[in-house]
Amino acid sequence: MKQMNEAQLNELEKDLNAIRDEVLADLGERDANYIRRVVRLHRALEVGGRVMMPFGFIPPVFVAATAMLGVSKIIENMEIGHNVMHGQYDWMNDPSLHSQTYEWDTVCTGDSWRLTHNYEHHTYTNIIGKDRDYGYALLRLSDDEKWRPAHSLQFINYILLSVFFQWGVGLHELEFERIRRGEISLKEKLPFLKGFFRKGGRQAFKDYVFFPLITFPVAPIVLAGNIGANLIRNLWSSTVIFCGHFTQDAETFTEEECEGESKGHWYLRQLTGSSNFSGNRFVHLLSGHLSYQMEHHVFPDLPAHRYPEISEKVQAVCKKHGIHYNTGSFARQYGTVLKRILSYSLPDRLREKWTALPQSA
Amino acid sequence: MLSRTERTSALQWLGKQLFNREDPAAFFDPLLERINPMWVQQYTPARVERIEDETADTKTFVLKPAKRWDGFKAGQHVNICIDIDGVRRNRTFSLSSAPAQWHSNGMVTLTIKRLPGGLVTNWMHDNLKPGATIGLGEAFGDFLIPEAGEPLLYIAGGSGITPVLSQLETLAAANYEAPVTLLYFVRTQADIIAAQKLYELRQNWDTLTLNIIATNESETPRFLKDVDLDEVSGIEQRRCYLCGPKGLMDLATALLTQRGISEERMHSTFFAAPKAALDTDALGGEVRFSTSDIRVSSEGDAPLLDIAEAAKLSPRYGCRMGICHQCSCKKTSGTVVNRLTGKSSGPGEENIQLCVSVPQGPVTVEL
Ligand code: FES
Repeated sequence: MKQMNEAQLNELEKDLNAIRDEVLADLGERDANYIRRVVRLHRALEVGGRVMMPFGFIPPVFVAATAMLGVSKIIENMEIGHNVMHGQYDWMNDPSLHSQTYEWDTVCTGDSWRLTHNYEHHTYTNIIGKDRDYGYALLRLSDDEKWRPAHSLQFINYILLSVFFQWGVGLHELEFERIRRGEISLKEKLPFLKGFFRKGGRQAFKDYVFFPLITFPVAPIVLAGNIGANLIRNLWSSTVIFCGHFTQDAETFTEEECEGESKGHWYLRQLTGSSNFSGNRFVHLLSGHLSYQMEHHVFPDLPAHRYPEISEKVQAVCKKHGIHYNTGSFARQYGTVLKRILSYSLPDRLREKWTALPQSA
Repeated sequence: MLSRTERTSALQWLGKQLFNREDPAAFFDPLLERINPMWVQQYTPARVERIEDETADTKTFVLKPAKRWDGFKAGQHVNICIDIDGVRRNRTFSLSSAPAQWHSNGMVTLTIKRLPGGLVTNWMHDNLKPGATIGLGEAFGDFLIPEAGEPLLYIAGGSGITPVLSQLETLAAANYEAPVTLLYFVRTQADIIAAQKLYELRQNWDTLTLNIIATNESETPRFLKDVDLDEVSGIEQRRCYLCGPKGLMDLATALLTQRGISEERMHSTFFAAPKAALDTDALGGEVRFSTSDIRVSSEGDAPLLDIAEAAKLSPRYGCRMGICHQCSCKKTSGTVVNRLTGKSSGPGEENIQLCVSVPQGPVTVEL
């Protein structure tokens, strides 16, 4: 991580706080209208997709219905669920958009997410050993972790994780790796597992039992479409999330260097541990504005649709303090993620040889 | 065949499976709202039909709630919710019309005075127009007319007249035969709310005695006096209803108590957060908000709602004075003192109202 002395860190903290205060003072109808419009879009897409799906025996209708349902789930998970649960809209005092009670359309329970994501990941971002989102305790993505032969197959794990992403996220709190190491017992996780099975069962029931059953004659089509929609959502959201912290220039940190850190230091870590990607309005909407991951990590509870305007100010602050503003096209950033997953699947010596080769990307 | 309740609980179960929420019907609100705002499920919508001027700073809003609204009893209040600059604001007002009107034409009225600096009341006066919809909660409150035909005394001040209007109208319609006296305190004659209605009532209903007292028209303010009560015949036998500013209510309670009227025969309703005298020595302690894992210390001078907000949490709230239960929240350990009653809670897990609960020692709240 870039070295900054205490005075510089204080200055950074002040600069970022100023941006935050400015936005907070300006929150109002514009933000309320925005999120309500997105919610309306989600409802329209979901209702549309569900209604069209039984007519999926006409191939173009099948494609459209599956896409609509997939996009509706993406919008609900990314721009609505994730952001609402961060408390971005709590100030609206609308019970249906309240962080502590929102329950989203995915396997992971809201409570589990609030714990593992809002608290753990956002507090310990990219600290190896503390941020379990880093590699999801499944992938080796930095040399902070020693290579084991099993890592050579990690690209397969990555594909599986992406395909079943909602189940992976749902099981994140289980801390399977710690159970395997005998640090905790399965019994301690029973309350969590109960919630997981209840929510997971509900999600599976809805998409794989209820909607196919009520359209009985075309059940296989509806089932296939619903599986497709979930798959679209899983692949897209895992990709977006991987681009947030695992790109080439996103840094990792050790527990020692973050011990007793100041707010300024925390800000610096959020900025250097995250990465953005560029795109048009649609890309930002579908990624829940996690395309502005740096802004999101610095201000997780400011309404996400504000990140584009906040970004200009954050860039200026980064420039002033000589901090790398890590962004690039989606393809470029994702490319570096894939490269990271692949290269760290190799033992260190091989990896060093590989990265020493002249690269065309 | 499924009974209605079984059917709704089965439906609710299914709704929860499909939409992941306690109020599945409200899933469609964003779309329904666009088609017809009266179809919204998350709260009961009420359309503003008319707005009438009462005095320079008081208006009556005539509302038509959606059919499914449960109705009310004379003297009860409702929570309303209104979005102002993107923020949903809940406030509690008493209904000023009689239930009979709601039964006959489906309309209810709220009579609302502008409060100096009041966000919601001023906004309603300045921005609410006929045709708009606002959210309405179910009616609540136990400021209710007696069942038996007892003689009654009402002491009302300023906009505290609103629940009394609803009661008087109801009593008049039922031809209530026992004597009823209303002592109504207003600043000046121009501040009488619903003057015309009151005069009409007096005209058509002989058992009503109306005594309107202007407090600010003479050199020195003219407050409630013992002589006012002397004029009320058979006052010891009356059931008393008090509604108005705290000063008036305290004074009235004291004077009536002196005359030997028991607490049980005095009913009051208030519109300002009362600050019951608290034994401050014993108050305060560490507050832990367990869901967000935040710890703060409390001096015992603020309710949990304020403490939570100062800690950057945004719990739900409505009236902020202990009546709407919007702020109800689970306390998992510790005791709190209820500011309204002055009573301590038990030490275990229970639901408390954040806005009137002051920590008494260390407290853990699920927030
Ligand atoms: S906010 Fe109404 S009871 Fe607390």
